[in-house]
Amino acid sequence: MIVCPNCKHENLDGSVFCFNCGSQLVGTGSLVTQNIDAEQAKQTQPIAGKNAPPSYSFETWASLHLLDSGQILPLSDRSEFTLGRVSEAQPIMPDIDLTPYQAYSCGVSRLHAALKREGKRVFIMDLGSSNGTFLNGKRLQPHVEYLLNHSDIFSLGKLKIQILIKK
Amino acid sequence: MMAKEQNYYVILGVDRDATQEQIKRAYLEAAQRFHPDKNKLAGETEIFLEVQRAYETLSNPSRRAQYDALLPPEEKRQLPVEWEVHYSRPNLVRLKEPQMVYILLEIFPSKRSGEIPIPPLNVCLALDCSTSMAGEKMDMLKAAAVNVLHELRPQDVFSVVSFSDRAQVIIPASYRPEKHRLESQIRMLQPSGATEIFQGLETSLKEVQSSADGTHINHIILITDGHTYGDEPACLKLAEEAAQKGIGISAMGIGKEWNDVFLDTLCSLTGGSSKYIAKPEDIHAFLLNKFETLSRVIAADVVLEFSGTPGAEMTFAFRTQPETGPLPAESPLHLGAVLQDMPLNVLFEYRIEPSLTNQDVVTLLQGSMKPVITGLRTPIPPVRLEFSRPVLAQAGEEAPHPAIVHSLGRLTLYRIQDKARIELNAGKYELAAQHLKQLATNLLAQGERSLARTALIEAENILQMGGLSEEGSKAIKYGTRSLLMKQE
Repeated sequence: MIVCPNCKHENLDGSVFCFNCGSQLVGTGSLVTQNIDAEQAKQTQPIAGKNAPPSYSFETWASLHLLDSGQILPLSDRSEFTLGRVSEAQPIMPDIDLTPYQAYSCGVSRLHAALKREGKRVFIMDLGSSNGTFLNGKRLQPHVEYLLNHSDIFSLGKLKIQILIKK
Repeated sequence: MMAKEQNYYVILGVDRDATQEQIKRAYLEAAQRFHPDKNKLAGETEIFLEVQRAYETLSNPSRRAQYDALLPPEEKRQLPVEWEVHYSRPNLVRLKEPQMVYILLEIFPSKRSGEIPIPPLNVCLALDCSTSMAGEKMDMLKAAAVNVLHELRPQDVFSVVSFSDRAQVIIPASYRPEKHRLESQIRMLQPSGATEIFQGLETSLKEVQSSADGTHINHIILITDGHTYGDEPACLKLAEEAAQKGIGISAMGIGKEWNDVFLDTLCSLTGGSSKYIAKPEDIHAFLLNKFETLSRVIAADVVLEFSGTPGAEMTFAFRTQPETGPLPAESPLHLGAVLQDMPLNVLFEYRIEPSLTNQDVVTLLQGSMKPVITGLRTPIPPVRLEFSRPVLAQAGEEAPHPAIVHSLGRLTLYRIQDKARIELNAGKYELAAQHLKQLATNLLAQGERSLARTALIEAENILQMGGLSEEGSKAIKYGTRSLLMKQE
């Protein structure tokens, strides 16, 4: 049995990807694979930016205020962002990589949550993260959109973030 | 002349140690290809006579022995295609529980393939003209068919069949059709009646067969928007017949009503595949793309006949390129076409029961593989193919081949949606919805936002209404399939 580190599904020996959640189970340990993935990750980021739907304005529509570090990350360019942390082993690329802000020790999943703008409203959705997304202290149901108000505080695992929505 | 240097084994396309059974079958195939009643090209009657002579000698054991004694030793021939087998793990492990192994079979054009002429096409369009096609679909379909007519090369054979509950030959199979007259024939098509795919398929098969002389890429392109009722088994039988005659079938389904599972099965019997066309305006692009793909074919099909070992079950077979689609896990397997510039890749999944791991080596597949190279006058002999793995006490350290990880990673998303479907059919709504949500997360990770959203909407549909919407279901199935083709 290979127990999936992501969803705990028991896969038969010899499985390469988790049959339940699609996480890669083997072949990520070797140095060679890591290098290639890191290289790919570097290359894909600007491309993803270019492919973003151009129909939205390029101004900042909200910012993320990371409460522990005081850092402010502006959201602009597109209407949807995924939050998470880059993993060396897997080609998962969140739009906003929270690795520099102690994402790992705060329990942020590789793909943790998504922020979306619809008109003037901003929504947050948990993407089935291991440690959950909390909004004003309450744990959100995964894959359900919740409305965010200006200055709401949400946390990805233990990483606290305040949303600043531009009027 | 080429035929002079070739020995009887080469002419028939069999190995020197071929059995009488194999020789007879090769003879029947070649005779069908080059029979004087059929062939139109100069030189083919001579080939037929050669085939005849070869069979007369090789089918008689004493004459064959005499012939063999005089035969110079076999030279190693370089074939127009080569192949490689990659395994996901270096060995199996002695275990008390079942285990998996993945195998990627890669068949690619060799250096020699450049010498082989690209074969002309013999294509029949089978157009669904039932009542439901009326309006934009019909208009776009006609426009696309007319466009294709103008793209044809002089050496291509082309025919058009329209069908509803009966079929009609609109353009009989012919070279250099009078384009303007035929264009008006296509434009006059009127929708009426119900969809009966068998009618269309049978008539199209006759058209393609009338010009199927072994030098063309023979193919039927079926375009439909509806379900066919009651004639599915007859259609599948027809597809098997087509495959035996070297005729491929591809299908394109327009909109949400057509039966994707049935058309996938139908096409896969011949090495073809099905495509989903969400909007009528895309018909043109899909059709042109299909013709463009067909005109890059170096091997029209690769036929794999095989046997397995009980306890080592082929649980899944999937062609990841050039045209993606599931394959039936049974012999004979029509793997599909090899293109001039794109290898044929097929991924196999095996589940091995613990009882087999007492052996030192587990044979997963034993068989023969025959690439059908249309540009060559003489067939090439089938080659042996074996999948096997040693059994050791410990798992090997070696990481799976990157090509396997790559295609399997992309295929995993397709399989998650497949699994959701199976669970849905079994009434496990919660689980099915759960899988679609996991699919959505993975899709987001790859930047596939709109498909991810569709998956989430469908997960909700399952929970609210106990089923998928027809559009969403097809969008997810064909969307995850097309991810396989995306370039990094």
